[in-house]
Amino acid sequence: MPAYERAELTAELKVVPSSGAENPPREQVEAAKRAASDTGLAREAGPEVTALTGGRREVLEASLRVMEAALDAGARAVEVRVEAEGEAERFGAG
Amino acid sequence: MTIEQTTPTAPTRERPSAPVQTPGRVGEHTERADGVPKVRGEFEYSSDLWMDGMLWGATLRSPHPRANVWSIDTSEAEEMPGVRAVLTHEDVPGRKVYGMEVPDQPVLAWETVRYQGEAVALVAADHPETARRALEKISVEYEVLDPLTDPEEAMKEDAPRLHLSGNVLKRIDIVHGDVAAAEAEADVVVSGEYEVGMQDQAFLGPESGLAVPDGQGGVDLYISTQWLHLDRDQVAESLGLEPDRVRLTLSGVGGAFGGREDLSMQIHACMLALETGRPVKMVYNREESFYGHVHRHPCKLRYEHGATRDGELLYVKARLVFDGGAYASSSIAVCTNAATFACGPYEVPNARIESHMLYTNNPPCGAMRGFGAVQVCFAHEAQMDRLAKELGMDPLELRLKNALKPGDTFPFGQEVPHPAPVREILERVREMPLPEEEELVGRDLRRLPGGVSNVTHGEGVRRGIGYAVGYKNIGFSAGFDDYSTARVTLAVEDGEPHVRVHTAAAEVGQGLITVEAQIARTELGVERVAVLQADTRVGSAGSTSASRQTYVTGAAVKQACEQVRERVFERVREGYGEGDLAIVDGDVVSDGETVVSLAELLGAEEIEETVEFHHRETEPLDEKGQGDAHLQFAFAAHRAVVEVDTELGLVRVVEIATAQDVGKAMNPQALEGQIEGGIAQGLGLALLEEIQIKEGKIQNASFTDYLIPTILDMPSVRAEILELADPEAPYGLKGVGEPPTIASTPAIVAALRDATGRDLTRVPVKPEQIVGIAEKPPDEPPQPGSRGYSGIGRLDEREEH
Repeated sequence: MPAYERAELTAELKVVPSSGAENPPREQVEAAKRAASDTGLAREAGPEVTALTGGRREVLEASLRVMEAALDAGARAVEVRVEAEGEAERFGAG
Repeated sequence: MTIEQTTPTAPTRERPSAPVQTPGRVGEHTERADGVPKVRGEFEYSSDLWMDGMLWGATLRSPHPRANVWSIDTSEAEEMPGVRAVLTHEDVPGRKVYGMEVPDQPVLAWETVRYQGEAVALVAADHPETARRALEKISVEYEVLDPLTDPEEAMKEDAPRLHLSGNVLKRIDIVHGDVAAAEAEADVVVSGEYEVGMQDQAFLGPESGLAVPDGQGGVDLYISTQWLHLDRDQVAESLGLEPDRVRLTLSGVGGAFGGREDLSMQIHACMLALETGRPVKMVYNREESFYGHVHRHPCKLRYEHGATRDGELLYVKARLVFDGGAYASSSIAVCTNAATFACGPYEVPNARIESHMLYTNNPPCGAMRGFGAVQVCFAHEAQMDRLAKELGMDPLELRLKNALKPGDTFPFGQEVPHPAPVREILERVREMPLPEEEELVGRDLRRLPGGVSNVTHGEGVRRGIGYAVGYKNIGFSAGFDDYSTARVTLAVEDGEPHVRVHTAAAEVGQGLITVEAQIARTELGVERVAVLQADTRVGSAGSTSASRQTYVTGAAVKQACEQVRERVFERVREGYGEGDLAIVDGDVVSDGETVVSLAELLGAEEIEETVEFHHRETEPLDEKGQGDAHLQFAFAAHRAVVEVDTELGLVRVVEIATAQDVGKAMNPQALEGQIEGGIAQGLGLALLEEIQIKEGKIQNASFTDYLIPTILDMPSVRAEILELADPEAPYGLKGVGEPPTIASTPAIVAALRDATGRDLTRVPVKPEQIVGIAEKPPDEPPQPGSRGYSGIGRLDEREEH
């Protein structure tokens, strides 16, 4: 039975690496993934894409940490898509 | 990339026809419309689909259970004559992951593979052999890593993290009462460790389907599945299309049992079809099928039961560790189910249950008939037998003494609803006569353990009897908005009234289309009923799983029929006056007198109603595992009689007796099939069926090596049916598909214990266990003077050397 739609918020973060940065592109992506992993909300959603799923506040705060990690590692940009689920209230955050 | 596009116009496929049935009413024996075509080999399964000009799709899979993917080179494959497309993760136009509960599984792997058989690349070619050879030309550079295959190891802090979220997919804790206080009061405590192997659904029709591009960027998919709309939504998301651009039609399903709830080739076939502009068919062979669907979760279970001296249960403690494999599938729901049913259908005032679901590099596990209840039932029933032995009580008496009854509280806090006939079904199986003991010597070999292998003529054969009882939820639980949609049309054709029923509910062999027709026949009083092929032109029916379709889709069909009937009556009242109206054999009658025929009333008009039926709300469990989580509960008890060749460990199951509460036997013939089929699958888990995994790799991906029961293994089944109506359910019915599987396994193993005196804590039970050979050599070699040393010893020290 499907349950993923129960999460209040899902943020997909796509790291756009910079080829001119000190760290190679792969490390820029890996830095973002490490930061995402530390949030406990993350799963991989593509080669450069990480999804964070959970309650509204925790996902938004975690997204910020992931973006900072990517930018600190030299990424050129982080593309963010945040999606809310209307039915999530019944199930509690996450 | 696409190699060539050759079909300028959009191919089309004729819609499957809907044969007119003349079903019986609800509760009457009704032959299924698809029965004869299936027996004659005339039924079109999804693997039989065909369109002129279609291509054949094939999947490149990882040979490694865990590896990094450094590069994928498709150039050589693309150059092969006859190859039309070769696709990798870069070609997935939309979301690159999918999953029912957690979208964590790549459509096609990019940097990492997490299980042997994970899809890496796709080929479409003119001929299936060309496609297969093209796969061999795709070069993938892997960095092979050590697989993480033990869920206990996966829990450890220093274990490699298989997913960004870590390896713990889910943990459910049930905290009920005061276990510590109960421990102090217990006179008798028994504990045990149990294990359930990885069972396969072993459906006979492999994964298959046909994707047809519509020429306008959308696609039609003809597919064998359990939930059309969930497939559609996931396919559309990964194709980057709006859902209405993806249309699914159910094709002939050759069994499912949970194994078709997840996607297999759905997205892949659609990607190839849209890329090439041509219909693409994909059919897995048997070996690929073992990699192409999820399996039943293997599980290790540790239990402790405490009771008073007179056999009253005081507490249960359990720790359940499930191997979820590489991806989530429906593991979260399995984890929840197992936690809630861990104590069995008994009144347990205090309980502490931990249910853990882990990611590993083993094959992904998910839904299978019984869904979490099977694993725990094996363990809690073994515990009840162990406790009875410790107490010196009859095992059945112990069960009767502690049987749940309406008004009790489940360990997860929900009140036990009426009916909950645990006592009744146990008493029924106790009262059924035992099969006569046939003289062993001189018996037909086919009725001896080992059968025609001619291994015993009766010597060393012992008989055993075992009992078990189990239960499970029906329908989706824990707050999920579970519903189904039905469209019912009443019309007149050739002067005869007939009904069309249209739902998206998947007929997977269980007989749903017959039940839908029976409901329409009953509610509308019309003999001729056509159940249209399930597709996504009508609203979702939810999944054919959790034994829910007759309840949920049945209720939707019933309500739609009632609304159609009411519109008929409105017309009659307008034209013919008031009265106590009914429809009987195509006529509207009032007080037994015909008012008007439906043919005359309707003429060329049709009356159509569409209903979405939602069952009552359930609740998610709270942090202590408490909540009104489940909709309905179904109970079944089993008694197994076995004969065991105690020298060779071979088993003949002589008979299974069962009693099951079904609420209402909608179609007694189909019910009999569900009970016998479910018991066959329970017998398979008890004695035969296990996917053998070594270092993350499947060792027996064939029906030569993965053994399922045949007609020679199946015993006679003696069944008693209780029809205790559930006041909330349509016709009072209960789901019937899963309960036969749940307690049949522990009943058989209990009978084996009775025959052999051995503990038998793991299923499937192997002959080695029955005769007492250790599962594996001891960690330390026997030393001189140790027990059995002179008989076994180390190879170089044996007496014969």
